[in-house]
Amino acid sequence: MDRLSYVGKSMRRRDGPDKVTGRAAYSQDVKLPGTLVGRILRSPHPHARIVRIDTSRASQLPGVKAVITVDDTKGIKHGFVETPRYPPDQEVLARERVRFVGEEIAAVAAVDQVTAQRAIDLIEVEYEILPAVFDPFEAMKPGAPEVHPVLPKIRSETPLPNIAGRTATGWGDVEAGFAQSDYVREDRFESHLRTHGYLEPQVTLAHWEHDKLNVWTSSMGTFIKRAKLAKVLDLPFAAVRIHKTYVGGTFGGKIDLYSHEYCAARLSMITARPVRIVATREEIFSAYRHGQPLVMEIKTGVRKDGTIVCQQVRAINNAGAFRGSGVVVIFLAWGFTMLPYRIPNLAYEGLSVYTNYPVRAPQRGHGCPQIRFAIESQLDRIAEDLGIDPVTIRLRNARKPWEALPNGDNVHEAGLLECIELAARKSDFLAKHGRARQAKSTIRRGIGMGVSSYFGGSLIYPNGSGVIVKMADDGSATVLTGAIDVGQGAETVIAQIVAEELYLPIEDVRIVSSDTDTTPQDIGAWISGMTYVTGNAARQAASNARDKLLQLAAEKLGCAIDELEVRDKVVRRRGEPGKQITYREIIAHSVATRRGDTVIGEGFWRTMRDEPTHPSLATTKGRWSENYAFSCQVAEVEVDTETGEARVLKAWTVHDCGFAVNPALVKGQVDGQVSMALGHAFLEELITKDGYTLNPTWLDYRMPTIHEMAHSQDDEIVTEEYTVGKSFRVKEVGEGLVSGVLAAIANAVYDATGVRMHSTPFTPEKILKGLRQLERKERLGRAAVDIQEEADEQATALPG
Amino acid sequence: MILYEFDYERPASLEQASAHLRRLGDSARLAAGGTDLFPGMRVANERPATVVSLGALSPAPPTRQPDGAIRIDALTRLAAVADSELIRDAAPMLALAASVVASCPIRHMATLGGNLCQDTRCLQLNQKHDYQFKPDCYKRGGAVCYPFPNNPPGTCWSVHLSDTAPALIALDARVEIIGGAGSRWASVESLFSGSGMKPLRLAGDEIVRAIVVPAPAARFGWGFRKSARRGGLEYGASVMSVALTAAEATQTCRSARIVIGAIRERPVRALQAEQMLSGAALDAETIAQAAAAVAKEISPLPHHGFTRSYIRDDIRVKIARVLREAADRALGADGQKGEADRG
Amino acid sequence: MDNALRIKGTRSQVVEICVNDEWHEVSVRPRHMLVEVLREMIGLTGTKDGCEQGACGACTVLIEGAPALSCMTLAVDCEGKHVRTVEGLAPDGRVSPIQQAFLDQGAVQCGFCTPGMLMSITSLLERNPRPTVPEIKKALDGNLCRCTGYNAIVDAVLQASGQGVEPLMK
Repeated sequence: MDRLSYVGKSMRRRDGPDKVTGRAAYSQDVKLPGTLVGRILRSPHPHARIVRIDTSRASQLPGVKAVITVDDTKGIKHGFVETPRYPPDQEVLARERVRFVGEEIAAVAAVDQVTAQRAIDLIEVEYEILPAVFDPFEAMKPGAPEVHPVLPKIRSETPLPNIAGRTATGWGDVEAGFAQSDYVREDRFESHLRTHGYLEPQVTLAHWEHDKLNVWTSSMGTFIKRAKLAKVLDLPFAAVRIHKTYVGGTFGGKIDLYSHEYCAARLSMITARPVRIVATREEIFSAYRHGQPLVMEIKTGVRKDGTIVCQQVRAINNAGAFRGSGVVVIFLAWGFTMLPYRIPNLAYEGLSVYTNYPVRAPQRGHGCPQIRFAIESQLDRIAEDLGIDPVTIRLRNARKPWEALPNGDNVHEAGLLECIELAARKSDFLAKHGRARQAKSTIRRGIGMGVSSYFGGSLIYPNGSGVIVKMADDGSATVLTGAIDVGQGAETVIAQIVAEELYLPIEDVRIVSSDTDTTPQDIGAWISGMTYVTGNAARQAASNARDKLLQLAAEKLGCAIDELEVRDKVVRRRGEPGKQITYREIIAHSVATRRGDTVIGEGFWRTMRDEPTHPSLATTKGRWSENYAFSCQVAEVEVDTETGEARVLKAWTVHDCGFAVNPALVKGQVDGQVSMALGHAFLEELITKDGYTLNPTWLDYRMPTIHEMAHSQDDEIVTEEYTVGKSFRVKEVGEGLVSGVLAAIANAVYDATGVRMHSTPFTPEKILKGLRQLERKERLGRAAVDIQEEADEQATALPG
Repeated sequence: MILYEFDYERPASLEQASAHLRRLGDSARLAAGGTDLFPGMRVANERPATVVSLGALSPAPPTRQPDGAIRIDALTRLAAVADSELIRDAAPMLALAASVVASCPIRHMATLGGNLCQDTRCLQLNQKHDYQFKPDCYKRGGAVCYPFPNNPPGTCWSVHLSDTAPALIALDARVEIIGGAGSRWASVESLFSGSGMKPLRLAGDEIVRAIVVPAPAARFGWGFRKSARRGGLEYGASVMSVALTAAEATQTCRSARIVIGAIRERPVRALQAEQMLSGAALDAETIAQAAAAVAKEISPLPHHGFTRSYIRDDIRVKIARVLREAADRALGADGQKGEADRG
Repeated sequence: MDNALRIKGTRSQVVEICVNDEWHEVSVRPRHMLVEVLREMIGLTGTKDGCEQGACGACTVLIEGAPALSCMTLAVDCEGKHVRTVEGLAPDGRVSPIQQAFLDQGAVQCGFCTPGMLMSITSLLERNPRPTVPEIKKALDGNLCRCTGYNAIVDAVLQASGQGVEPLMK
């Protein structure tokens, strides 16, 4: 790929200058005259019947322009997933019942913040408190408080109460598999409640004017926001415009339709003034959507060489009070189980369970961190018990290129084997592993490895993207794309591709993005398919424009298209120096001869073009993705065995991203995911009690500061390449690299201390507890000990 | 943001500020850096009708008195305390303590006096109360305690989290306080009431004017450790501060102060452990015993997600390290200066 | 600012604040924080409002050269003071070395923490032109970033202070 000008190069971000000078306009920066302040009234109870709401005193307060409750809505439900099996289940404001602390009950629009606060305080609500349930295993017991009745289809699959969703699948014969295995292990792992931590708060500005709703909102996809917002407002899509804004971080927490978005819109429609709602950090940390806490029960049978014979997996998700994305995470937990290693026999069941908590959202990796932490931890344990090193056992099980997956997909140029080998080599893994226990010092270092796989683009949502490339009279190009840059560099990558395909200097490429009125449809920055799906659409559009330019050039120069070559907006006939024409001249010619048309290129790309629909969330049957990325990550940690305090010193990431369109942007994604993983591993925890969030502030939710920064090294296995004029497969890098490193950290803690972590976060308390148990057992002559949480006993006594 | 209108006074002197407080009574609050008051007003834990801002007053630089004590204006920013050559030389433990408070911008806004006089804190208290923990708790004037429901009314177990207070108490520092009755002196230790409801022993119109740190005796050593999960932006699970002097010609301890902050409504002294050290050899065995004694005699409150037993166990390990550092400094092994790491 | 002042909560007071070398007269109430004055009244939206709790650092500005959290600073207390925001770092359109280094190192992703980071770094480099990595961390421990993991930000400070880190991006 050396002959390329832009693709594969670390081009500076094109939105960088706006961001470093303060010019970048985020949703809170858009100013409209006469904007009202919106505030939401939220439930103080985890589960209650609403007996009476009286908004009259609030409405009468001078300066209050509107107050709404569910009676002011159209009663239309929405959901993260909307399928026959999982129909939309949530209204934008609570109707008759509240099911989590913080649930939205009413909203006000007022002239300023002080009045809005007074108005919220004046709304009277009478509640009848209902019993609540917070733990999914409690929620699945007969007689548990009912958050929602179970849908008939689900009820036919399981008798358990409070089941929001279920996925069950498998192949082969696990019973026979376990019987044939030389070694079988069964373990339980638990991943706790943590959250996205985006720096930009949730904020929406809505303005209803001339029968059109204009919205500026912090999101991960303007088209999906438009679709959901229009639906609940009962407006045609064309009546809703989501404008482009810069977005200050999302990580999965800004896909869903949020009540405040609806409320800002509806309040604007009633008052005919712009309305802005900004969520406080307390609201974000306590009432908005966090990542799914998952319990994973994994039983694995292997041969004595460590190759997997069979696996039985159950994933239990604490879904919160509505279905949300929990029904997807239990599907994905299966996917992330079966992707990296061959599993000849599998039995999988995932349950998403209602509890009286806020609904969950995807969080970077969407189940993958939790699953890989579990599986990689167990695999290391199996390896140790069998006397095999962690690298070898992974090499034996890793999928090879072009392996067929049991669901009908293919891994194509999977580079997992090389990833494992290179990660082991770069980190000097085998030389370091197993040394800690011999160390005399109380400060111990350990090294651990984690393998993961992720998908780029899927039909879980129609994952198609349109791009238009418009040539201007000077030969420069404007790209219209619905893609949204949430920090990952979408606009830069698209500009690189278009510049490459059109042989343009990159300064001559302008990007207009993510405005639902002016740009074509795009799924947005989730499902991790931007570079692959939108990138190919952009390539197509640019190719289309280029082909038109070349066609015109060929006419003008009187030759065949394949005799032409292009450089710097000049088209030449090969071998005849005098025969050339600039883009500017070509376009002038087009305008003169083609009824005034400038040159416009169109592209459309959809992942798995031949597949009609998404795979079944219930059975996993059907094609899931045509683009899988693999990675192996290694982490080195240091543990003070007297205090239990641990930190990540260094992380190595080796991944087969296909090829890197922009290596520096890839490095940025890796660094950020290492940081997020170490936060997940050691620091971050939302502390909840009886449905309340105890630490809903930045000071008490411990996200990594600069002091916690770990050294991060990033290497790519190049398995694909980019050729101008051809479609390309590039793999995702934005979500899949937070999981292997989390697993690696868990294994590194074990290597340093001999203490096996079965639940995140790996707090000093847990490490110390494990070390003490270890001391006791070693005094008695036994080996390493696991830390099991008390909930284990409940899990094994689970009904059904 | 603060969601009600309040009046503002900006006096030209500390005496004027005190006069305002006298005149306005309990409806006024003093703002120096504002880093404690304004977050409290944002969540409506404090709702003063008037904010009396000390923003017009500039602190005098730290000075060394004829008796060798260091006088620090209470309005000195924490960053200035941390960076002051004089304080780093004469009271390095205080410089270190100031340098680990919160975060860099807060250290540039917050004052030493304000850090001492900060309000006690608890998770359920220090967040907005729009829908969580809405009925007022005892500290907010109500009838319930959320973290400790069995506490009788008026027993508030919110914790005093100042990083500088333990250091100043260990250093036997005193404060000059001005008020309607003129000025008075008090030990920093006596500034704290031990009550979460009203943590400071200050009359409504009293203002801390200066902090004076006495010159250390011969063979003085110090150790300091803030135990926190992250390297910044944190309150401590505990803040440990040790000041001791070694006897003239031997390796024994003459006197010691062991102060633990961030575990109770005020910093506490481990008096029994101090007594145990007094006259004892500063060897590993004594230090281990003293550490165990500290862990035994303190009664930490669980706070900010830390359990009582974790705090105690953590202190047991770390106070031994802090005692060792102090002993080494006193015995001349390590020199007087240097920075202990936070952990 | 050396005059005593009294303002009634419900009345506005005109105060003069110098922002990026330009004096502004703004009409404020005591409860208005500096961040509101900057963003809403003067129209400089580069300074971000990330938490209004004084914890995330996105609102960091410089007041008389020292880093300050503008969401926790009363506007009336800024009377007569010199405030610098991110918009003041490139007065003639030419970006400062640290802004350029952010672009060169990929230290900007979503960009929301960036203005606050740049102000904290500007203050650091004015006090300490060649900071060590521990000194950089100490100066930036009040600026949270969720995107970059801080690695590229540290590299940007090292590049801008001439400490041997070469640009990563072109």
